[in-house]
Amino acid sequence: MAPLLEVEAISKRFGGLLALTSVSFNVVEGEILGLIGPNGAGKTTMFNCIAGVYKPTSGNLVFNHDGKSMRINGRKPEKMTELGIARTFQNIRLFSALTVLDNVRIARHCRTESNFFRSVLRTKFQLVEEKEIVEESMRWLDFVGLGSHALSDASSLSYGDQRRLEIARALATQPKLLLLDEPAAGMNPKETRMLVDLIHAILEVGVTVMLIEHDMKLVMNICERLVVLDHGTLIAEGGPKEIRENPQVIEAYLGRGAAHA
Amino acid sequence: MNFGKTLTLLIIAAAMTYPLVPQSSDYIIHVMTLAMVYMILAMGLNIVPGFCGLLDLGYVGFYGIGAYTAGLLTIHYGLPFWVILPLAALNGALWGALLGAPTLRLTGDYFAIVTFGFSELVVLFLTNEIWLTRGPLGMPGIQPITVNLTWLNEAWYFQFYDKTPNFYVVALLVGLVFFIMRRMEDSRLGRAWYAIREDPLAAASCGVNILNYKVIAFAISAAIGAMGGCFYARWSMFLSPDMFKFWESFLVLCMVVLGGLGNIKGALIGAVILVCLGEVLREVLTSFGLPPETRFMAYGLIMVLIMRFKPAGFFPAIASSGRSNPLLLDLQKRLAARNATKEETRGAAA
Repeated sequence: MAPLLEVEAISKRFGGLLALTSVSFNVVEGEILGLIGPNGAGKTTMFNCIAGVYKPTSGNLVFNHDGKSMRINGRKPEKMTELGIARTFQNIRLFSALTVLDNVRIARHCRTESNFFRSVLRTKFQLVEEKEIVEESMRWLDFVGLGSHALSDASSLSYGDQRRLEIARALATQPKLLLLDEPAAGMNPKETRMLVDLIHAILEVGVTVMLIEHDMKLVMNICERLVVLDHGTLIAEGGPKEIRENPQVIEAYLGRGAAHA
Repeated sequence: MNFGKTLTLLIIAAAMTYPLVPQSSDYIIHVMTLAMVYMILAMGLNIVPGFCGLLDLGYVGFYGIGAYTAGLLTIHYGLPFWVILPLAALNGALWGALLGAPTLRLTGDYFAIVTFGFSELVVLFLTNEIWLTRGPLGMPGIQPITVNLTWLNEAWYFQFYDKTPNFYVVALLVGLVFFIMRRMEDSRLGRAWYAIREDPLAAASCGVNILNYKVIAFAISAAIGAMGGCFYARWSMFLSPDMFKFWESFLVLCMVVLGGLGNIKGALIGAVILVCLGEVLREVLTSFGLPPETRFMAYGLIMVLIMRFKPAGFFPAIASSGRSNPLLLDLQKRLAARNATKEETRGAAA
């Protein structure tokens, strides 16, 4: 079976800076893939290319879904979401003036279709759709454990809850692939444990997860496979154990000579 | 029903019955009508800076387009107001979309400059295309609003020269626009706009096509402005390009900011406050020997004071009409019930 996402020789150049140099790897359906590397390695740039925020300078992104194989590089973020690629952000980007429920309701946008006339006339179609939006949003809020906060303001949530709300929002778009950008950043140990359970639950509902994370314990714990970037190039790929022992990875993190020490 | 709501309804009822009182003054009815025209404009403008977070400094352009559309269609074709109203709205929406589609890619100040330029263009067009608009001479002789019910009864043909019927026509329009706004606010469309206002990148990653939704917002906003202009043309029965100068845009923007960006009720109250203030200032300033135009300095001062002390306006709550939606009230009940059972089980365990 073809992998869910094929990343083929992706390069991204910002003026004189080559942020990604011909990076290739695959994301297999049903796995948790970790994307790691030191600061400035190009991890978030890679995510932004996959999520459609950046257009790769060269290379191919191929998304295989429903038996169809699509070249998706350069598509707009909203098109990527429609295809089934959802993401969270490194620095939380919630709609903070809106309620928790509204944050998730907005994510139903690409799966619903009421327009201006239907909204103003409140047609039967629109009423049914609005009800579905609320039900589906509540389903995902309960899934991440925020159901009882549905009607509070998003800004009133604790930091860990805000991260989980972002995940609920991404899940409500019904993705096939979920990109989590440092989901455990700033979380306390208890919140991190809950996050691990949540990621496993996400996998169980049939969503493939790809995550960037600096918490090595977490990454080694939950990822089946890891991709390591350094200075925009892929330096290693494999299971947690191989990666931990890979001299190039140790060098990237700890500096030259560390592998021999 | 709570006190605030009762008070609001009482004030609205009192305002609506005022023209029927035999001692009512024409001047007050005139000011109230004017306030309602600005209510329409403030609600319409609110969509762009309020819902989508884009600064629009050229709203009066669409008001002018609506007014001249109505004026020309009345003078040359004698169409009734009720036919012209949707045509003017469509023409406004058309120009809104034409201006918005190429320029809404710009963000922040750049977009504001484009809208400002557009409204100046409209004024220049109205001033210089004398064959169409008679330029600075203005356009007199626009027929007032008529209601033709002769198909029901031979005698039922009304021409609204009087202030009172015009008052009710504009009240009806305010009601209509308010209704549309409330429904838009609490819908997929309104949520997409709020998402763009709060965080465009996050909105895009939720599947919202930002450019499309901005253009839709701009077109609807323009259509509402043109409706306001359409009424204004048939009410004042005279148009001139001077009426659509930049100051009007600024005034409407002040109303929206004063009320609270993104809050529909705030826009209405902002309109009432600033129209009344304008009337008061006109009297007060002239008594000090200052020209009435200095009132714009007062508006500027108000803007500065709001930004300093109440940057979110008097009614900062956004997306508020959704909270009274039966769906959410139902959800609220369910959540309360769920919390109650949780408490019970916890109590039983302890």
